[in-house]
Amino acid sequence: MPPIRTSRSRKTPPAGFEDIEDTLLEFSNKMKDAENASHEGKKKHEVLWPIFQISHQRSRYIYELYYEKEAISKQLYDWLLKNNYADANLIAKWKKQGYEKLCCLRCIQTKETNFNSTCICRVPKAQLKEDQVIQCVSCGCRGCASSD
Amino acid sequence: MLKSTYTAPPPLPPGWTEHRAPSGHLYYYNAETKQSTYTRPQAPAPLPPRPAQTPLHYTPDTLPPFSTTPYGPPGDSFRSAHQGYGRGDFRGGKSYQERRHREPADRPKSKHPIPGCAPWVLVKTKLGRRFVHNPSTNESFWKFPSEVLKGVVEYDRVEREKKERQERGEVEEEGEEKAADEPAGRVPLEKPKPTHPSEVPAIGDGEDSDEYEEVEVTDDDDAEEEDGQATKRLRTDEDDADQPPQHVDFTEEDIEYQLANMGEEYGLDPGEYGEPGEEGWEEGAEGLPLTEEDAAALFRDLLDDFHISPYTTWEKIVEEGHIIEDSRYTVLPNMKARREAFSNWSRDRVKQHKERKEREETKDPRIRYIGFLQEHATPKLYWPEFKRKYRREPEMKDTKLSDKDREKFYRDHISRLKLPESTRKSDLSALLKSIPLQSLNRSSDLAALPPAILTDLRYISLAPKTRDPLIEAYISTLPAAPEQDDMTAEEQEAVVQKRAERERRERALVDREKRVEEEKRRRKGDLLRGKHLLKEGEAEIEEAMRVRNDGLRSYMEIDAQIKD
Repeated sequence: MPPIRTSRSRKTPPAGFEDIEDTLLEFSNKMKDAENASHEGKKKHEVLWPIFQISHQRSRYIYELYYEKEAISKQLYDWLLKNNYADANLIAKWKKQGYEKLCCLRCIQTKETNFNSTCICRVPKAQLKEDQVIQCVSCGCRGCASSD
Repeated sequence: MLKSTYTAPPPLPPGWTEHRAPSGHLYYYNAETKQSTYTRPQAPAPLPPRPAQTPLHYTPDTLPPFSTTPYGPPGDSFRSAHQGYGRGDFRGGKSYQERRHREPADRPKSKHPIPGCAPWVLVKTKLGRRFVHNPSTNESFWKFPSEVLKGVVEYDRVEREKKERQERGEVEEEGEEKAADEPAGRVPLEKPKPTHPSEVPAIGDGEDSDEYEEVEVTDDDDAEEEDGQATKRLRTDEDDADQPPQHVDFTEEDIEYQLANMGEEYGLDPGEYGEPGEEGWEEGAEGLPLTEEDAAALFRDLLDDFHISPYTTWEKIVEEGHIIEDSRYTVLPNMKARREAFSNWSRDRVKQHKERKEREETKDPRIRYIGFLQEHATPKLYWPEFKRKYRREPEMKDTKLSDKDREKFYRDHISRLKLPESTRKSDLSALLKSIPLQSLNRSSDLAALPPAILTDLRYISLAPKTRDPLIEAYISTLPAAPEQDDMTAEEQEAVVQKRAERERRERALVDREKRVEEEKRRRKGDLLRGKHLLKEGEAEIEEAMRVRNDGLRSYMEIDAQIKD
């Protein structure tokens, strides 16, 4: 039988967690709300958009705290990744040139599309037609090319 | 009513043709120069000009010596750039007469020779307008001819320098107004001949020197000019976008006056039709004493004042919207800049926060736990027993100290307690000696020992009764603390300086807000006036278009009456 992990028995998070705890709690509340929101009147592919959005925001928050503001320690950052507060694969993409603003991993998965191409949100605004408003199917992104 | 429309017109000069606009107005077009004007062009002969459309506006007492009108309004720019200048043409006689007695008599006030253009003199009128006069040919122009213009610009420059030298002492930097750098060539082509006295381009005093602007001369200009300031508007021409920003100083009285006389003042000012975005831009671009750093600093003050956690996200702050109501929120022009400022601010704050914590950090968990050990630990209890016995104590539940550390501290402490007292004493003195003079010196207190001592097990391995006299004796042998006061003084100075900076920034912000408020009020007034004018114009056109049973005869009769 695997050990039962409760809030009492969990390991204490590394130092500095209490600073960001409130914000993370808010994110998790938002996520719960989004999970429980009704799907009435939404298209099938729209249902998951808020989930993607919040997880992107949270990952971005942690990414910026660690890499840009240097506000959290390496231990805390690793702990957050290990505890799924942020999407490590997405953050790994953000470190690569050309993917600095990537919205979600599904949008660069070329094998899932009919023409083996990335999502429309990866196309720079300059290459789109004038006044063309886009919102991608997988996560509702409105454009995440690095040059935008 | 409408009498002027039907006076027998003088013949047009060659090249000019007469047309009727869709609105029913007559206008004149010169195919050669591509000029169009509502004002009937005059033959260049020195006969007194009789503009057919608006003869009433050229009353002798409102105009300086006659001017021929070779600089008619360019057709294209009429609507887009200079809605204001043609205001007189829309007006009927009736409204004019109401207004007439209000117009102050304007007369030449002073004469200045123009350097480099020998016969020409620059005449300033009582109302602060200017025109050039050539005594030898007896010609006068509101609009400076191109050969004279350079002389006038030069003259203005000299004047301004004189003035600046006078004001150097107290006035804030007016250095932005450097009209002299402006290309002088393009101006005369664009500048239309104003047809209404209140729109005559005029220059306040030497202070402003930019004749490429329209300066509104209202009747109480005298008061304004005493301040050396005329109300001016930047033309909304595209070309003017690069002009140096100007201060708009508009006193309360002026605004009230303008609002009160809205009914009489007719005119569309530039910018009235301009889209609001453009106006917003113009307001922002006006000569503000707020520099970019100031703006950023103000924004940071704002974030500090609202006690925002540096660990939050920008989205959340915006969502909560507390800071949006604060006026300092608007010092940064757009969301991108604000976001940038926030991330910089939070980075700095986090750094400070970390430093502060590092200073305090070591203190909390271990000191408390070791103090707890001092009281409760006995060699009689093994660690599991001790842990079980005191599991409810907060010191034992503290998450910052891991269980492993706690156990280690306990076991070490117990093993130390078993050592002979002399060893423990020598250990304590070794510990005390290892503490640098900065943290432990003659002025240190037993109650506030440095954390380096308090977290050490050697400190608690002796009972307080024997330990405290030992430490006291050691402290009394120590010299005084090394010099540290200058550091704090410096810090204090820095704090004072910071506060002064902040006050200055906030004053600047208040100034800017005042100015923006004034600008807003003025725009509102202008808008109202413009609307009024439009209504009036529409009514007139309606009147003019209404052809009664007797056809044009009624007009002719009125005309005849007037001639009598």
